[in-house]
Amino acid sequence: MSLDENVRQEITELIGSSDVVLFMKGNRRQPQCGFSATVVGILDAMLPEYTTVDVLSAPHIREGIKTFSSWPTIPQLYVKGEFVGGCDIIQEMYGSGELFETLGLEPVETARPRIEITPSALRALSAAAAEHGGAGRELHLSVDAEFQSHLSIAPRGRADVEAITDGLMLLLDPISASRADGITIDVSDTPNGQAFRVDNPNAPRVRPMSVRDLATLVESGEPFELLDVRTPEERAIAAIPGAVLLNESEAARIESLPRDTMLVLHCHHGGRSQQAAEQFVALGFSQVWNVVGGIDAWSQEIDSDVPRY
Amino acid sequence: MALQIINAGPNPIDVAEQIRLAIAETLPQATIAVRPGGPGHFEIDVTDAAFAGKPRVRQQQLVYGAIAHLMSGTNPPVHAVDRLDCRIP
Repeated sequence: MSLDENVRQEITELIGSSDVVLFMKGNRRQPQCGFSATVVGILDAMLPEYTTVDVLSAPHIREGIKTFSSWPTIPQLYVKGEFVGGCDIIQEMYGSGELFETLGLEPVETARPRIEITPSALRALSAAAAEHGGAGRELHLSVDAEFQSHLSIAPRGRADVEAITDGLMLLLDPISASRADGITIDVSDTPNGQAFRVDNPNAPRVRPMSVRDLATLVESGEPFELLDVRTPEERAIAAIPGAVLLNESEAARIESLPRDTMLVLHCHHGGRSQQAAEQFVALGFSQVWNVVGGIDAWSQEIDSDVPRY
Repeated sequence: MALQIINAGPNPIDVAEQIRLAIAETLPQATIAVRPGGPGHFEIDVTDAAFAGKPRVRQQQLVYGAIAHLMSGTNPPVHAVDRLDCRIP
């Protein structure tokens, strides 16, 4: 296949524009396909910065890069001008530790996560390992970007981290290990028989915040975003000092912030803000709080100058 | 009864043969097996001494490069290669 000289030139410049260039669908914040999201997840865990090229917004690049790389699929990763591979190969290289070398990084020593296993789960896991394991195949636990856990039996990866609970060893790749500390594994009955149930305290969720804790947080001077999800009319009656009305432009500003920004949301009594908070969690924000009792609790417990309504 | 239109695509056996021929042109010494999967999907095994000393990604690039013309354009005969195994004899 011949490639238009201008497109070739453009791709060559893109690849040379930075040490690590990922051709993907969507961008780093909003990947538009699962394979692209997987590679972004791996690179995010390893690098503070890298360049992405959204092929969906440039159809000539989308077709051109396939010919340029002799590679039929997106995403495609280039490091220092060299084609490294697509999603499968990146995952494999990450699991084996080779990707650290390719990116010129020292392999990180990942802390062993503490994992709690109930006695019945321990028996079931030991039995599964004995039945399907052996010959270098071992029990693995992985935690994906949505914090869903997966158990499997597979060969050990070079970068795998061991978590040992009551004599049972689980292997985790480094990204999974960073998401797994404090996990509890139990067995529960389902309509289809017994299944493992994993409770992961690291999974992002909306956390409750009392108005007292909010007052302490405000006083501490720590940076965070305090968002008021009520209507402008309610706000005219009463407002918590420092809170910002979550209108469309404010929502757009928040959405562009780093996903570990601390967000605290309040409304009148805590219902509407809970819903809004869950939407921010769904967008990938990991530090999201809902003020229990809303501004009404603030008026009663913290500042009686804020009128109740 | 609902009206259903079935648009027949290219015969998967013919496309498999096109894949085989295209790879053979680039890697004349290779042993090549192509199996059709779902519509437009294929599995490919290639065994060739030319792969010796090359990392897996370079081996696969040789094969993908050989069949690129069957995978590009708006409605290519090959939509996806579900599995590509490159082996050294």
